[in-house]
Amino acid sequence: MFPVEHFLFLAALLFSVGLLIIITKRNTIMVLLGIELLLNASNLNLVAFNQLWPASVDGQMFVLFVIIVAVCEAAVGLAIVLQVYQYYQTSVTDSISELKE
Amino acid sequence: MQSNITYSTFFEICLLLSVALPLASFIVSFAISEKYSWAVSITAPLLLLVSALSSSVVFFSLHDDQPFSIAWNWFVISGHPLTAGLLLNNLSATMLLVVTFISFLIHFYSIGYMAGDSSIRKYFAMLGLFTFSMLMIVLADNLLLLFVGWELVGFSSYMLIGHWKEKPAAARAAKKAFILNRIGDAGFLVGLMLLWTHQGSFALNQIGLTDAMAAWQTAASLCIFCGVVGKSAQFPLLTWLPDAMEGPTPVSALIHAATMVAAGVYLVIRTFALFTPIALDVVAVVGIITALIGAFAALGQYDIKKILAYSTISQLGLMVTALGAGASDAAFLHLFTHAFFKACLFLAAGAVIHALHHAQLQAHAHFDVQDVRNLGGLRKKLPVVFIVFILSGSSLAGLPFFSGFLSKDAILTALISWAGADFSWQWLVVGGAFTVTFLTVLYTFKMIWYIFFGSEKKTSELSISAPPAVMQVPLFTLALASLWIMVSWNPFVHTRWMNPAMEHSWSVTLFSIVWVIMALATAYFSREKSFYADVLFNAFYVDRLTDWMTKKIGLKVPAITITLDKKWIDGFIHATAYVQVLIAHVTGWIDRAFVDGTVNGMASFVRGVGSVTRTFQNGKIQLYIFWSIFTIIIFLIWTLL
Repeated sequence: MFPVEHFLFLAALLFSVGLLIIITKRNTIMVLLGIELLLNASNLNLVAFNQLWPASVDGQMFVLFVIIVAVCEAAVGLAIVLQVYQYYQTSVTDSISELKE
Repeated sequence: MQSNITYSTFFEICLLLSVALPLASFIVSFAISEKYSWAVSITAPLLLLVSALSSSVVFFSLHDDQPFSIAWNWFVISGHPLTAGLLLNNLSATMLLVVTFISFLIHFYSIGYMAGDSSIRKYFAMLGLFTFSMLMIVLADNLLLLFVGWELVGFSSYMLIGHWKEKPAAARAAKKAFILNRIGDAGFLVGLMLLWTHQGSFALNQIGLTDAMAAWQTAASLCIFCGVVGKSAQFPLLTWLPDAMEGPTPVSALIHAATMVAAGVYLVIRTFALFTPIALDVVAVVGIITALIGAFAALGQYDIKKILAYSTISQLGLMVTALGAGASDAAFLHLFTHAFFKACLFLAAGAVIHALHHAQLQAHAHFDVQDVRNLGGLRKKLPVVFIVFILSGSSLAGLPFFSGFLSKDAILTALISWAGADFSWQWLVVGGAFTVTFLTVLYTFKMIWYIFFGSEKKTSELSISAPPAVMQVPLFTLALASLWIMVSWNPFVHTRWMNPAMEHSWSVTLFSIVWVIMALATAYFSREKSFYADVLFNAFYVDRLTDWMTKKIGLKVPAITITLDKKWIDGFIHATAYVQVLIAHVTGWIDRAFVDGTVNGMASFVRGVGSVTRTFQNGKIQLYIFWSIFTIIIFLIWTLL
């Protein structure tokens, strides 16, 4: 069995990549992808810690819950992106700057 | 209007007429158009005749009676009401009569003398104005009103001296007379101010009634005497009078012999209560210096009118000396007699000049008719003028049986009793006065000798006609007025019917008769001898003295004040300006550097902070996330370590 640190490192790596994508990518869809990576990183942490207490299944349940929420979020988010694209003819975050004077 | 009620309305009307008619003559002379200017020579003498007649009514009803005064409110200045009014007593009533009477005679004489003159309207108008303003001096009951008249006679004198304004000498003489009089009048004005500050009143009958012998009284009286020095041609302001002879001869007779120049003496008599003993000593010394200068200078002249002018100065000097000796009665008596005989002498001289001038025009001859060396032997050609000249000249010389003798006697008597028994400087004044009377005989004799005796010189081939009747009447009237009868019934006692209170001493009378005879003898034996000397001809160079003084003072003082002004006052102003500009620059710099600097510095600091913080919120959502994560990381590091 792998020690838990390996999972934690992987999860941290994923989280960092996700953050990097969120910050650097210009396209909104890519930002949503970054968010998915963040969620997956936290899921990885949840299952890794659950492994330390085999009697409980809380962690796995949470993961399933998160996956469902992530799906919902992705659906809503993509729908919004689609609407925004239709309205602005672009999905680049910097170009959508109507609130800025 | 307040007046005492002892005099009738008729008296008041006469008084009004005698004062107002000369003014009316002034107005009428200007009102008549140029075309009818001949009418002026009828209206002006007529108005003056009425004035003289009504003034004689005033004189005879007032004489030896109580004084008459009348006053109107003039104006109020800072709570002090000032009145203008008339004050008639024996003195001013006599003077009123003398002025109007002589003025009338001069007007009458001028009809003949000034006939054909182009500006005759101006001439008579100015004579009228002069007479009116002279009466203002004579009758004014306060010094302010008197001063107004004083300035007006100065003005009309200026206009009349410069009557023939196309002659440069006349214009110069007029200016000189005016300016020298202004110098004296400045003193008079200061005297008036002194009087006002110390006494609070200009009224003549209140003068000197406060504390006597005060220092301010000496100062005020000497300042008023300054005005007298100017107007009466006393040393050192005497040189305008000989120059004033450039005016028409009747003017010289009226203004520069009989009345205006005597106004100074009259003023001293009117304000006599103000004069302190020290001031009187100054007056006496100035008077005797003037009298001596005038008498000596008259000896050195050849111009008829110049001789008479210097003689006038000398006689005025005698009057002023008498005033200084405290004998205002004697001074006024001499003023009175002098007015008649000197006016007569001037008119007679005018008659000679007039006759010769006309003869010259017919014969186309050219020589100076006023120079006595060109004349001679005229007693045959002008017998009328000769008689008049002898009568008035004898009066001037002070021969017995003439008015001049009596008034001169009065002055000498007063001077001797003033000098006292012991020898003092006052005896020098007495000696001076006797010298003056001696010299008076000398120059009068020489003048008459030159004109009327001896052989005819340049006049021999001229056909000279006697002066017209209008000129003869005033001549004879005035000549008769120079007899002793004008003063006293007794030809040797000057205690006249006008003022019997004067002292009289037979020893002085006898001595002066002997003195006059000695002088006549000297004059006769030295008749061919010329007394000409540059120093006499130029009247001891008093003219140069006044010139030098006016130049020294008149040019130096402005020069000094200009340098003072430029160097010190302007310098001070410039210095303060520089200091102010400097302070302004410093404060400006402080303002910019510190006050503005603080404000601007704060503003730019805030702007700098703002521009830094602005970069965090540039509207890019990913940057916000970046900074949030950055902050969280910082926070984590800080809490965990």
